[in-house]
Amino acid sequence: MRPASFEYHRARSLEHALELLAEFGDDGRPIAGGQSLVPMMNFRLARPAHLVDIDKLPLAGIEADGPTLRIGALTRHEDYFGHPLIAEHFPAILDAVHYIGHPTIRRNGSTGGSISHADPTAELPAVAVLYDAEIVARSASEERRIPAAEFFLSAYVTALEPGEMVVALEFPLPPQNSAGSFIELGERSGDFATASVGISIEHDGVSVVRAAMVCSGADLVPIRAPEVEALLAGQPLAAPPAAEAGSSFAASIDPANDHIASAEYRRALIAQLTQRAIVAACTRALEKS
Amino acid sequence: MTEITLTVNGIDKTVDAEPRRLLADMLRQEFGLSGVHIGCAHGACGCCTVHLDGTPRLSCLTFAVQCDGATITTVEAMGGALAEHPLQLAFRSEHGLQCGYCTPGFIMTLAPFVDDMVAQRRMPDDGEIREAMSGNICRCTGYHGIVAAVRKAIGAGLGKDA
Repeated sequence: MRPASFEYHRARSLEHALELLAEFGDDGRPIAGGQSLVPMMNFRLARPAHLVDIDKLPLAGIEADGPTLRIGALTRHEDYFGHPLIAEHFPAILDAVHYIGHPTIRRNGSTGGSISHADPTAELPAVAVLYDAEIVARSASEERRIPAAEFFLSAYVTALEPGEMVVALEFPLPPQNSAGSFIELGERSGDFATASVGISIEHDGVSVVRAAMVCSGADLVPIRAPEVEALLAGQPLAAPPAAEAGSSFAASIDPANDHIASAEYRRALIAQLTQRAIVAACTRALEKS
Repeated sequence: MTEITLTVNGIDKTVDAEPRRLLADMLRQEFGLSGVHIGCAHGACGCCTVHLDGTPRLSCLTFAVQCDGATITTVEAMGGALAEHPLQLAFRSEHGLQCGYCTPGFIMTLAPFVDDMVAQRRMPDDGEIREAMSGNICRCTGYHGIVAAVRKAIGAGLGKDA
């Protein structure tokens, strides 16, 4: 298992990278940590003719910019741990990052890489959809912001155009009274997830004011659960209708039936994960209040 | 071909690299470092772990051309000719290996973890040790011996028995 031939280019700056990507179009791919792209190339599922190495460009960092949290594309998964803004405002992201691969993958893999790769059960795409993030994409000619809900089109397919590259994620900062959780099950620690559920709630110390839910493993992209979100609004934090939410969401999906799990198993699993994620988020809300 | 210079186990060498050449293959073939084992070639087994600029890296998921100017350490540089790094000694005494295929990867993944724990002056619980080695697969030992070896090596660093 070795990759097909390609030409290698080390970008000297973001502008240089974008020029090269514009020149190569569909035949070019940026590479940073390579933790998703290189396995695809080794399997020859990906055969880019040109790799543009952006690994050393200054695109890393997690910082608040007014009402948004901006995470640079070359921020490594490991950098999320212990970051005060993530810990304070985005508990579901902090939970989710623990499930990404294993320590060596988390040290080298990048945020932009995970988002662009768009594995159907990857964690960062799921939390981007959960928290209504925008994906900031640059090309040689323009910069545009793509809502996460419109970015992930199918398994490994995104709204990125040839010549475009993810440079950052922007998350709107949740209000002060918010909590969240993210729960995932895979066959083994670090494996691709069979399914995962993320919950984010705003609350008044007693009841849920507004809820958001995302699920990976129910479809080819992470999906929101508007019925569950509506059901949870106004419900008491101490006794949310978590089981009802789980079973009604599970009844509404049509998950894959494959060698990892049957559709029936996935549906039951997602009902359980939904229930547990809701309880975990509400429990955290009560503990914080 | 691209000309690159690597500092491998303390020795600088300039080599021609076809871009698609994996760092793992480069280390094995051009540097003769057969301790870099290639188990799966897609980042699932951890056997090919080396240190790139001081931190663990899967050499099967790294192109050699990406490493121009980098410093690389492989298992051959650990513990001298007799493999006497405290973690290697502990693997031996605690039955941390059987066939040995995965061992270089475990050593390279876990040596920085051992150093980190010793620097923090604390003994991790088994859950933390298992998390630290979760990217490495061993088909012989059932992992108990490896966990024991990590505890022993950290204990040695802390100056007491684990």
